[in-house]
Amino acid sequence: MAKLEGSFTVEDMKNVQINIGAVVKEEEEWDQPMGPFPKPQIATLRDWDFKILNRYRIFYAPADDTCTLCTYGPCDLTGNKRGACGIDMAGTCGKIVLVACLMGTCAHTAHGRHLYHWTLDKFGDMKFDMGTDILVTAPLTETIIGIRPKSLKDFGKALEYCEEQITQLLAATHTGQEGNYVDFESKALHAGMIDSLGKEICDMLQIVAYNMPRGDPNAPLVEIGMGTLDQNKAVLIAYGHNLAAGAEAMFYTEANNLWDKVDIGGVCCTAIDLTRIGEGMGEKKVPDMVGTKAKVVGAIGWWRKMVRAGIMDTVMIDEQCVWCDALKDCEERKIPLIATNDKIMLGLKDRTNDPVDEIVDDLVNFRVPGVVILDPVKAGEVGVKTAIAVKPKRADIKNKSVLTEDEFKKLVSSCTKCNECAFVCPPHIRISHLMEEAAKGNLEPFSSTYEVCVGCGRCEQVCRQDLPILKMYEYANREYIRNQKFKMRAGRGPVRDTEIRAVGAPIVLGTIPGVIALVGCSNYPNGTKEAYDIAKEFVDRGYIVVTTGCMAMDMSLYTDADGKTIWEQYPGAFDGRNICNIGSCVANAHIHGAAIKVATIFAHRNHRANYDDIADYILSKVGACGIAWGAYSQKAASIATGVNRIGVPVVVQPHSVIYRRAFLSRTDVPEDWIVIDARDGSKVRIEPAPEHMLYVAETKEEAMLMMAKLCFRPSDNSIGRMIKLTHYCDISMKYFGKLPDDWPIFVRHASELPLAWKDQMMKELEEKYGWKIDWKAKKIVEGPIRPADVSFDPTNIERKIRVRK
Amino acid sequence: MAVDTTKNPIPFEMAQIPGPEMAKTYPVKVIGAIIKKAKRPLLVVGAELFDDPIMFDKAIEIAKAKNMPIAATAHTVKGFLERGYMTNVYTIGLHPLTNYLRFKDWKGLDGQGQYDVVIFMGIFYKFANAMFSALKHFNRDIKRISIDRYYHVNADMTFGNLAFDSAGYHEAIDELIAILKK
Repeated sequence: MAKLEGSFTVEDMKNVQINIGAVVKEEEEWDQPMGPFPKPQIATLRDWDFKILNRYRIFYAPADDTCTLCTYGPCDLTGNKRGACGIDMAGTCGKIVLVACLMGTCAHTAHGRHLYHWTLDKFGDMKFDMGTDILVTAPLTETIIGIRPKSLKDFGKALEYCEEQITQLLAATHTGQEGNYVDFESKALHAGMIDSLGKEICDMLQIVAYNMPRGDPNAPLVEIGMGTLDQNKAVLIAYGHNLAAGAEAMFYTEANNLWDKVDIGGVCCTAIDLTRIGEGMGEKKVPDMVGTKAKVVGAIGWWRKMVRAGIMDTVMIDEQCVWCDALKDCEERKIPLIATNDKIMLGLKDRTNDPVDEIVDDLVNFRVPGVVILDPVKAGEVGVKTAIAVKPKRADIKNKSVLTEDEFKKLVSSCTKCNECAFVCPPHIRISHLMEEAAKGNLEPFSSTYEVCVGCGRCEQVCRQDLPILKMYEYANREYIRNQKFKMRAGRGPVRDTEIRAVGAPIVLGTIPGVIALVGCSNYPNGTKEAYDIAKEFVDRGYIVVTTGCMAMDMSLYTDADGKTIWEQYPGAFDGRNICNIGSCVANAHIHGAAIKVATIFAHRNHRANYDDIADYILSKVGACGIAWGAYSQKAASIATGVNRIGVPVVVQPHSVIYRRAFLSRTDVPEDWIVIDARDGSKVRIEPAPEHMLYVAETKEEAMLMMAKLCFRPSDNSIGRMIKLTHYCDISMKYFGKLPDDWPIFVRHASELPLAWKDQMMKELEEKYGWKIDWKAKKIVEGPIRPADVSFDPTNIERKIRVRK
Repeated sequence: MAVDTTKNPIPFEMAQIPGPEMAKTYPVKVIGAIIKKAKRPLLVVGAELFDDPIMFDKAIEIAKAKNMPIAATAHTVKGFLERGYMTNVYTIGLHPLTNYLRFKDWKGLDGQGQYDVVIFMGIFYKFANAMFSALKHFNRDIKRISIDRYYHVNADMTFGNLAFDSAGYHEAIDELIAILKK
């Protein structure tokens, strides 16, 4: 039901005003009836959450043994003791998890709120048009709110809903409110769902307003890498997640024909979004194809490396994922900094209302290290003018900021090998070994660990000799930096309805072995190349591979033997053996959207205000798995939790234990694996598919094996199960050297056995597991958890039963 | 003279200071005696063994000396296969393994019952630390022993840091093997 807001005054009645909050009317254009749960509140989907949490048990690994949130603290909660307020360790972990998820949710929603005001101010209300290939236009808004937006303004209602839910959820974290860990996790799942909606709002607003691709598999290839920035021009960097100011810098450059004087590059998700501008087929309020003129400098993990590489003249920061010492790093190198969003102001003076030339003059003459300019148009103009004017003044500084050979040698030899640095290095690089080898003239260890270094700079802070270790990395890798020039496909945006029609059945039946989503940040346990390795493994195997954000950027930095990046090796459709760059972090919403579309377009499920039904469908039938192999942020926590609520499992890297919580099942408890057959309401024990919901892997090899396993679904038909089992076994053989121990529990019929090991497996089933085999017919007579049944309709929701037994 | 495994009780990631209950460092002979006494011990090994492959051989010797099963986490089973040792070697991720360990009714990798002592070795520091933490808070019936080259703050018993003394660490492990063989 849509609401029309308004108010009027009755003329004959003095001093009386009647306010009408909303007029409810039936929408005519969308024939789907309103589902049971429009705008779900905290408790509305709790039953669904408990279903997930009963199977995928909440697992906590506390990062602290104490609670210090109120003045009774610190309370020692070791061994699940209770604190003064009565909360136990599990409850405290749940509270921290919820707070982390809310941080992420707030970041995306507030980003959406900023873009909502900004796009309406700049462009006016615009028709929400996703083109003829996308009719399910805003899948999450439709599934959660129950409305189908017609213009950008309509997203205001969805934003208001998100903001109300965030307030209610945050209130629950106050001491003396929620105390039960399962309910904290239900609330975290709710926050995750709101996060997904906040992201959809963000990306839909910018896709329409900035005319970005609307699911274009042939979105242009754009330039990525530090080496792509033309050092003969002034270099302006836009760093963060919100494109508003960076886009204005591009529009100013375009309008004033300044591209021969300035190069504009982006860092982190702003980079991805700048390179999407003007590449769509919608209303053209921005210059056509202007996005292709911007460069992607790289992901967040490269920031401190970039700033030390001496490749930038001016920096504009916006919001989210901007390292808090960006100003310090820039000031030391006399790189003027412009803060363009009120979420990050870094103690700088707000110059929003000052004349452009005065601000530029102050920045160019280094009278101030940076300024705040909250008007994106003015910030863009100041950014471009400052970069051009400051470039000649910075020439000397730029040269001095890079080490000379003598300086490098001197620094290397002053390392005392105390190894304090090794105690704080996240990926455990033995820095003293690099120094030792470099002193002998061997820079190879400095080179081979360059991509492994996450650029945190903790080593420099503990170094007793004050060695500028990151700067030394830059010296040792200066050739690589100069040649870091690759191609990345611009973010294509949503998955098209037409694509879903083509792959819906193969996904649900399992003949496409799965959808793999590589998302998130750059805190890899063992270097950026693992992003490429994981993506390539699954594209090669015929999975549908989608990616967003920093992982999309990082996997672009590697090529095959022919010098082709992953984007040049494979096409960009939502199909097997394809790889899609969906877009920036907020574009993750389209991955949820694709899963929803499988339910609604392929399976004709009503998704309108029907979240749990859709999530249940996805959990049971859509073989998808997310991986956040570099997850670092609270946004990654809310993203993963939102993905989990909609029924998609996620694998994360070992540093992710700091999130404290996982969702892990017990395959040894059969009652955890009972589902309903929607055909007649009977209870059926299924194989553990998917086995876990949120899983930490120690190595990429373990991650890949688990990802293949987490694509199993009870709905797989026998051919599909055979294909999935083949990949699961093959990955295990390739990286583990043997078949996985648990392959038999996924077998329901002899035709599901991978051909390569079929006879060996049949024998093993009989001899080791006691199954009965009819060797003449080559059939399994007895043994599986359940028989293969193509019309089996698994559900976890009672109301889905069609005819009761 | 035996290696002093009680020195350097500093968390390998320095900021891992969890709270009032911090692991104590012990000499090899004490840790060896506790493992020897264990009724249902489990040796849990991780992918850092690949960085120092001789540790696969030492893990096998430890397991043989105590007739102890090995939980080969990540893809470490490959190292055992290459050495032709698969007796009581179980492939399982550290995360699901720890999940099972926290439940008192779990029957173990061999179906014979829950373990009383877990011994971690060769696991990525932060991951091992967090899994020790899970057991420290949610199943205190299991004794947590680290025989890794790091001081493990959330263990019950651990070595001090030997991360930069490979020879000393190998010597400590050899001493442990000798104790278990006695």
